[in-house]
Amino acid sequence: MTKLLGDLEPVYVVGAGWHRYQRLSQVGYVDLGLTAVRGALDDAGLAWGDVDESFIGTGHLGMAVGRPMLKHLGALGKPLVHVENASASGSAAFRLGCVHVAAGISDVALVLGVDKPRSIYRAPTGTHGLADDAIVPFTHFSLLSGAYTAASGVTDEDLAQIAVKNHRNGSLNPNAHRQQERTLEEVLGGRRTAGSLTSLQCCPVGEGAAAVIVASAGAIARLGIDPAKAIRVASSATVTETTTSSDQEVTREVIARALHEAQTPPSEVDVFELHDAFTIEEAQYVEASGIAPPGKYVPMLKEGAFDIGGQCAVSTSGGLLAMGHPIGPTGVGQIGEIALQLRGSAGPRQHPGARVGLAHMVGLGAVGYAHVLRKD
Amino acid sequence: MTSIVDLDAEPPRLRGGTCRVCGLVFFPFQTYGCEQCGAYGDALQPSPLKGHGTVRATTVVHRHADPRRPAPFSVVQVDLDEGPMVRGVVAEGVELEVGASAQLVKVADAGDDELLAVRFTAPPKES
Repeated sequence: MTKLLGDLEPVYVVGAGWHRYQRLSQVGYVDLGLTAVRGALDDAGLAWGDVDESFIGTGHLGMAVGRPMLKHLGALGKPLVHVENASASGSAAFRLGCVHVAAGISDVALVLGVDKPRSIYRAPTGTHGLADDAIVPFTHFSLLSGAYTAASGVTDEDLAQIAVKNHRNGSLNPNAHRQQERTLEEVLGGRRTAGSLTSLQCCPVGEGAAAVIVASAGAIARLGIDPAKAIRVASSATVTETTTSSDQEVTREVIARALHEAQTPPSEVDVFELHDAFTIEEAQYVEASGIAPPGKYVPMLKEGAFDIGGQCAVSTSGGLLAMGHPIGPTGVGQIGEIALQLRGSAGPRQHPGARVGLAHMVGLGAVGYAHVLRKD
Repeated sequence: MTSIVDLDAEPPRLRGGTCRVCGLVFFPFQTYGCEQCGAYGDALQPSPLKGHGTVRATTVVHRHADPRRPAPFSVVQVDLDEGPMVRGVVAEGVELEVGASAQLVKVADAGDDELLAVRFTAPPKES
């Protein structure tokens, strides 16, 4: 009989830290990662020696980058593993950390996402499509945008409002890659990539790091962690695509599983961090989650339902569009943002009364992850 | 790269396959294993596809890094008559709207790169 995370011992996020997401710079990945880890340990009030096991999500850095970084925290000798799952690398690392703690294999786990951008190497499969070289990610999502607007009657301006909202949130986040508010005219007037997509409707892929500490109830008591900082991980779900399923269908399935496991209807989600690498994705995924009915995302967006202070604040961090998408850190940073929101510690971007958070990533369309966090 | 287009046919045909076990028609042809049922090897048989189908989505690419495909150009997502979905580049000067029929044609002699030699266009009107 297989088990869900909720069938195991409870597991909590007890600390979060970041190195700001930013354009490629001279800062080494070791500095990026250590800054985030030290931030998360300080936030949790823990020392490096309290950590039993480390999970590192990275998409770009290559083989075995963890020890040359973590050794600078002091002697280690404890388990360390690297996790790659495309855009969902950080989410995958987080799930593994939660499972190990919930199963009692570890009491305290570090989950770190760290990356610096570089050209991607993927080994050839021996098969290829008719025009793989012509269809880069923004072209893929532009095809989806065109299909969505044609079917729903929403306009290109409507979708561009998603970028306006998420840049407004990002302007309140000192760890965001893009921290500048943008008007609708600025979004629409930017450089066009494919179809109606402009550069501000495509996420920046830069460098950065995000870390969270997950711990068992026993560790919280034993190590004297402030219980007010402990945010319960209520569920963890992951699926892969089938022959015919799309990013949206993968999303619908994985979020349904996570909400069901957490016994949480979509209407109870207060804050939602999702994979908005391109504007169209937010519309499709909010509808796939059930938080907006099919075809109702845009009318609700215009009413402010997804603003901070609205019905369900979507991408309070700025999302991938403004917070940025450095790959490994992205899914970990989502968890950190939700933990801050549920603690009431998100400062100027605090969503009032947030008690339930949902985090969602897809990795190259093929893998989907969702986690529900809850303030007990 | 393995050839996935038969340029000797007129119009060119796509080298697809059919699974003898579950009936899935797929593109491109391979014998690694059926994506629907997992059958492999001889269970997967070559099955030429006509390159004709219905446009499901389209967009104009304004920026593209690869100089072999200078922007702007259009791409379409096409549901082939035989079943598989493919994405391809539209012939220059042609507009294909969602719901329209599309046909793969040879538009250029691209040397040893067959993928640069084929585009989608509107099929000739039936008289």
